[in-house]
Amino acid sequence: MMWRRGLRALVITVLSLLLVIYVAGPVAWLVSSSLQSESDITAVPPNWLPPKVTFDNFEAIFAPPKREVTYETRRQGDPATGRFLPSGAENLLPALWNSFAVGMLVAILNLVVSMTAAYAIAVIHFKGRKAALYTILVTRVIPDIALIVPLFLVMRQLDLVNTRFALVVTYLAVTVPFTIFILISYFEQIPRDLYRAARADGCSHWQALRFVYLPLSLPALVASVMFAFLTSWNEFIFALILTQNITSQTLPIIISGFVMDFTTSFSFINAAGVIAIVPPVVLAMMFERYIVSGLTAGAVKG
Amino acid sequence: MARIRLDGITKRYGQVTALQRLDLDIRDREFMVFLGPSGCGKTTTLNIIAGLEEISDGDIWFDDRRVTFIPPHQREIAMVFQSYALYPQKSVYENIAFGLRLRKVDEATIDAKVRAAATQLEIEHLLDRKPQQLSGGQRQRVALGRALVRQPTVFLMDEPLSNLDAALRVSMRALIKKLHIAMGTTFVYVTHDQAEAMTLADRITVMRDGVVQQLDTPDAIYNRPANRFVAGFLGSPQMNFVEGEIAEGPGGPAFTRGALRIPVDPAVAAGQGGRKVVLGLRAEDAVIAEGGPLRGEVALISPLGSEQHVHVAAGDSELIIRAPKDQRVAVGEAIALAFDPARLHLFDAATEQRLGQQP
Repeated sequence: MMWRRGLRALVITVLSLLLVIYVAGPVAWLVSSSLQSESDITAVPPNWLPPKVTFDNFEAIFAPPKREVTYETRRQGDPATGRFLPSGAENLLPALWNSFAVGMLVAILNLVVSMTAAYAIAVIHFKGRKAALYTILVTRVIPDIALIVPLFLVMRQLDLVNTRFALVVTYLAVTVPFTIFILISYFEQIPRDLYRAARADGCSHWQALRFVYLPLSLPALVASVMFAFLTSWNEFIFALILTQNITSQTLPIIISGFVMDFTTSFSFINAAGVIAIVPPVVLAMMFERYIVSGLTAGAVKG
Repeated sequence: MARIRLDGITKRYGQVTALQRLDLDIRDREFMVFLGPSGCGKTTTLNIIAGLEEISDGDIWFDDRRVTFIPPHQREIAMVFQSYALYPQKSVYENIAFGLRLRKVDEATIDAKVRAAATQLEIEHLLDRKPQQLSGGQRQRVALGRALVRQPTVFLMDEPLSNLDAALRVSMRALIKKLHIAMGTTFVYVTHDQAEAMTLADRITVMRDGVVQQLDTPDAIYNRPANRFVAGFLGSPQMNFVEGEIAEGPGGPAFTRGALRIPVDPAVAAGQGGRKVVLGLRAEDAVIAEGGPLRGEVALISPLGSEQHVHVAAGDSELIIRAPKDQRVAVGEAIALAFDPARLHLFDAATEQRLGQQP
């Protein structure tokens, strides 16, 4: 009996470890390689841990040497030293800001729009609420790729190409339907009597949303913020088409641009990758404690 | 304080009609109880008074104010629910204070009112707790407190005692009755429990399938039920029903069924010979007495301590009658029942409406 239980624990541990390696391995390699010089990265067999830790890659991002990238300088810059800078390296920090600004705006607006819509559909029994919900969801059936050209034409007509606003609007179209759907199912779990009590106590619909539904849906709200931010942060194809200069380009576009025809600096790209994962990770750690269950305990007889 | 008037209220959910042209006049400061089985439309009516349900047709008036299209938060109502419906994230104090905060009452007044209500309801020591730390009875007291600090014009209660155990229900019933007297406000109370309805109400509205069956004082509803449904719904044990017909005879009209022959009140049944009717007899309206007009045999005895229920087989029907606890009867014994013909109820077999004087 003991033996079998031990075996079971062992199997679970091994499988869990494999899962951790599968998930965390690439991230670990990203961090490790960002601290290595180009020659260490490309060595065979690979160096899993940096043989010599260097911050040159980050220095290149945060304090890029003032120089023009010409055919001449590029030939001089030996990629193997880790000092090689791809063209466009100076765009990394502005792109980081663009990504962050777009992500935050999407996260906030997504929440504002979705929670009011979800409240209306879940709580107010108006005629056509089912139709409204399905109409919203059906917009997500169309593949994004099919929308790109029409969307680009619309944005060009509105003179919004190369603006962060265009990205915000586009990403909201992606995130809002899902968020509404998630929040509706959450709101519907909140006992209907709490709504009746709130209205009888003197809450308008706004106050019922503010004082009853939002406090009790905190986990869903946090999840929505994370979802919207990450969707925006990682999005590539819309950004590629809708933005063509650094006033509005986001991180994925800039980083992908570092893969060049002649030389690709893996060390630099990995350092940029590390920077790209920091904001979402920080956000996730900040909000993780709000994702708890059982907020409605004690509301009604259960 | 308000008189509530429902004027031809109809409520449809898609194809289903929950309420059909309901007219109701609830007097100022009255304790009105809506009584009926589940699905009879009593909670829907309460929600409509609160403004929580839109109506398909008709009008609602609070005094001279037409509130048909006034949203609930502007109607100055307070509500108590079967499920208590306390805000789980707020303390007891904040739950009670919430309605006042929404009205921007100043902090000192809020504090005074919350503490006064808590004292009245004997929950002062619980003010800092969260709802999940309270028992059912305590939660319902908090819910009452939340409603009464507001001093609403109408106090609505949706089966507030149904989740409590029997002993607590009796004490809470008394508390609610005291509150009604102390507050001098119109109370509308929904229940399916006839004992609650009888003890609390100034008047009772008995409902069934969205239609008012009878609206009257508890006494009138019990003693002069308008139809067979009302007669059967109130009273425990349930009223005995025997189907038969009226026969005219030398001794005046009588109810007959096979060999069974029971004289009935001529004022009700004279000239109705041959009419198919249902006879209603309350368990306490018959006594076991030698020489009574109704003979039968004791089929079963259910002692209840304070009294006993005797099941009497008479002809092909079985009646339950209430007998004093010290009355000696035995199963199988032949007995006779006597009763006052004026205490018998006659209902038309087809329409189920009461014969004779309408309440």
